[in-house]
Amino acid sequence: MLIRKLFRTAWQYKAQFISMLIMITLGMGIFLGFNMEWATIERDTSRFFEETGYADYRLYSDSGFTEEEAEAAANIKGVERASRFLTVNLDIKSDSAKSLALDVTEDISVSGFMVTEGEPYDAQGEGIWLSDKFAEVNNISIGDELTLEYKAAEIKGRVVGLVKSAEHMICLADANQLMPDYSTYGYAYISPAKLKQALGFEFYPQLNIISSLEKDELEEQIRAALGRTIMVSPKTDHVVYKEANGEADEGKTMGAILPVIFLAIAILTMVTTMHRIATNEKLQIGTLKALGFKNRRILAHYTSYGLVIGLIGCAIGVALGYGVCYLIMNPNGMMGTYFDMPYWDMTMPSFCIPVLIGTVLLLTAISYLSVRRQLRGTAADALRPYTPRLMSSRMVGTAHGSFGTRWNLRDIRRHKSRSAMTLIGIIGCMVLLVGGLGMRDTMAGFLDLLDNRISNYSTKVNLNEDADREAAFALADELEGDWVSQQGVSLDGETVVLEIYDNSRDLVRVVDENNDHIALSDEGVYLCQRLKDRAAVGEDITFSPYDSDEEYTVKVVGYARSVMTECIIMTRACAERLGIDYGVSSVFTDIEKEDVTSSEIISGTQSHRQLMDTFASFTEIMDTMVFILCIAAIILGVVVLYNLGVMSYIERSRELATLKVLGFRSRSIGKLLITQNLWLTVIGVVIGLPAGVAVLHWLIKALASEYELKLMLGPATYLISVLLTFGVSLVVGLMVARKNKKIDMVEALKGAE
Amino acid sequence: MAIVEFNNVTRVYKTGEHELRALDGVSFTLEQGKFVVILGPSGAGKSTLLNLLGGLDSPTSGTIKVNGHDISKLSDNELADYRASTVGFVFQFYNLISTLTVYENVALVSEIAKDALPAERMLEEVGLSDHSGNFPSELSGGEQQRVSIARALAKNPQILLCDEPTGALDSETGVMVLKLLLSMAKNYGKTIVIVTHNQSIARMADVVLRVKNGRIMSVAEQPEPLSADEVEW
Repeated sequence: MLIRKLFRTAWQYKAQFISMLIMITLGMGIFLGFNMEWATIERDTSRFFEETGYADYRLYSDSGFTEEEAEAAANIKGVERASRFLTVNLDIKSDSAKSLALDVTEDISVSGFMVTEGEPYDAQGEGIWLSDKFAEVNNISIGDELTLEYKAAEIKGRVVGLVKSAEHMICLADANQLMPDYSTYGYAYISPAKLKQALGFEFYPQLNIISSLEKDELEEQIRAALGRTIMVSPKTDHVVYKEANGEADEGKTMGAILPVIFLAIAILTMVTTMHRIATNEKLQIGTLKALGFKNRRILAHYTSYGLVIGLIGCAIGVALGYGVCYLIMNPNGMMGTYFDMPYWDMTMPSFCIPVLIGTVLLLTAISYLSVRRQLRGTAADALRPYTPRLMSSRMVGTAHGSFGTRWNLRDIRRHKSRSAMTLIGIIGCMVLLVGGLGMRDTMAGFLDLLDNRISNYSTKVNLNEDADREAAFALADELEGDWVSQQGVSLDGETVVLEIYDNSRDLVRVVDENNDHIALSDEGVYLCQRLKDRAAVGEDITFSPYDSDEEYTVKVVGYARSVMTECIIMTRACAERLGIDYGVSSVFTDIEKEDVTSSEIISGTQSHRQLMDTFASFTEIMDTMVFILCIAAIILGVVVLYNLGVMSYIERSRELATLKVLGFRSRSIGKLLITQNLWLTVIGVVIGLPAGVAVLHWLIKALASEYELKLMLGPATYLISVLLTFGVSLVVGLMVARKNKKIDMVEALKGAE
Repeated sequence: MAIVEFNNVTRVYKTGEHELRALDGVSFTLEQGKFVVILGPSGAGKSTLLNLLGGLDSPTSGTIKVNGHDISKLSDNELADYRASTVGFVFQFYNLISTLTVYENVALVSEIAKDALPAERMLEEVGLSDHSGNFPSELSGGEQQRVSIARALAKNPQILLCDEPTGALDSETGVMVLKLLLSMAKNYGKTIVIVTHNQSIARMADVVLRVKNGRIMSVAEQPEPLSADEVEW
């Protein structure tokens, strides 16, 4: 019989039950979704790395590595495998707008690939194993012929297999590209035999190693085995590993705060609502007690409400969590545009199971405690109707303002927990809106910085790694361009990029932390924001380029904002004064891409527009995230406010009926309810706005390892956040106020207070 | 002169397929300035009658005229205006606004009634000036009912409607409240309609309407009603 009562009571309080279910479902779904995202990234990428032999260390040498050196490295104790490796950017002959990273590995079990279609790898094979994603986007099929231009030589071959490689899991043409763009850039593998046949000689400037040794130890062992000092770059410096880890860390950060806030609000909603329901059910509870039901049985009956809500909410929450995770982690989802990997098996971090069980238990405990309060004392006590907190003269507060003002002020003070929950709902809504829209503004500002304040050129001409410096200078003059040299250096044992600029033609600029242009001084270097803590202005730093025993000590003269790389910036004059050996990496020119004459030293060209277009999918992801956050904010606001609004309406129905009997019109009474909501909204907005900015600050700080973002909040963001929050409050207020018309004055006034 | 005219008034409540005829073809008139008691057992239809007269409910059929105006077809807002200007209510359980002080509860009606009387004066007349800053929960039941009377009369209505006004009070307090109610109604020239099942109160009335099974059983005029002190409680 009590089971039947359970369902009927749930129906009676359907608005509250549905609100609690929605909140628990959303809270749990978002919590699981965000945490599953990073766990899935970690597991699926690790599996991919392992199965394709993603290298733990990369050794670079301009003069290349010999076969003997590779063997010596492989024989080091603690080194599992070593393979000579080449990766070079080549244009496709039939379409110069498209280019490929061509990889060759001597040992396919190191930095290799997995074939998704076509022939397996053959170390003596003549074919090309092409990125399946590049092939799909560019309509290239197995059997098609490709001709790649490598300096003066051509590498021609038939596509024999379509592949995925962890080395190119995030396939970026250069450090200035944020998102892969397979319509213009992909990768391919050929066999060492094919490379030798095409070039007529062997050249491997890279040695990739799989080893569990520590970096310093390996460095030492390599020096001993090869008889020369070679810069060892760990996988944590490699773009793929770094970015994948960054994404997982970002997910962990996001998963640790935002969903936890959401889940906490859901649980608080449950506390308030269950308490109210138990209070409203006091007479029923008393009746059951008077009938002879034992406290234990009554407790079990009402506690089962929390248990049922917890079980259903968590079950749908798990499904939603998988949905949220799938939205991000699937080959065509948000992360699918960034990662190219074969595994997209969603996984739940192990701590989520105790969280799920704990939440169900907590919700059950909330019901238990709410009902236990009503069971205190005798059956007669339980049968007495609920009386809200009595007013005392101390609570008079203001004696000014209209009766409505006083009524509302005292009602807020009298029902503190309800008012506090309403405030929390509004603050949560505001924080999510400001955080979401602010993130979009900040990213838009970041792209604007790149598009308009830093890049003043039409075309970026990328040069071959071994391009002759004088030839590069001549090309820069011919193109009337500025240039940059980028090379890896070790700063305090960490690999960062040394960027040497000649930007005398103002085609590429460097900005400070306020995004203002810096006229670069020749007296020292500028550190990017991420390296700011390494040295104060006026102090010296010491760095050492790859493949060199040289060390350079130079004074820090300022800090700059770097768009992509973690870098040290200096002028050409400064570099030459220090005697640094450098080569030009890219030339920036105002000449259109099509008008740049091809040259042996040019590895590719990219128009400014083309570069900015690669951010399109990045912006799309950002827009989707913002959209989800805004929807979550609105749902949060509507559910919390409606639920509390209805509870408050039920609690005040007697007073509202009295006002109606006295002759107040429904509209005036509705205004009273809406006014209280709007007051709380004003307070919520006032607190929520800075709280939202603080959360945004924190998010940007969490992302600082990847991007040097400057917090930006446009007036539209403030306006939309405030208007949406007020809109939600007003709409919910109107929804609740509509119930006034249906107040049954006769029924509401029956019985004792 | 008739201030109230009920003409063949029926009120039917429908619950699913069931019909409950709370009032069944009721007709009567009430004169201005009279003290009327509606008497009857539980479920007789007396509260329904009071609710229809008070504009809290509308009849299923028939007409109700107050001051010659038909109130049976008024809209929600028109009924609200009618309640604000023409009738005052005193309930068994007082129905004071718990978050407003005694003074504010009485002064509240000045926001809706055009000819509202000063709250201070009304509180003085019910002997609660000293408690004007208190909240209802700080007063006794009798005191709360006195505030309720002050509030009802502060609207300066033509008719005072009371639903078991002494039902929640002990007899001594009940008599005191009744005395106050009658004297104030008389001073201000109001028509009073009291719904009760208490026979003793009926002996004080000018007119007694006996209601049973949704019908008026009798309308008796009492030319010489007893005073509260004369009634045996």
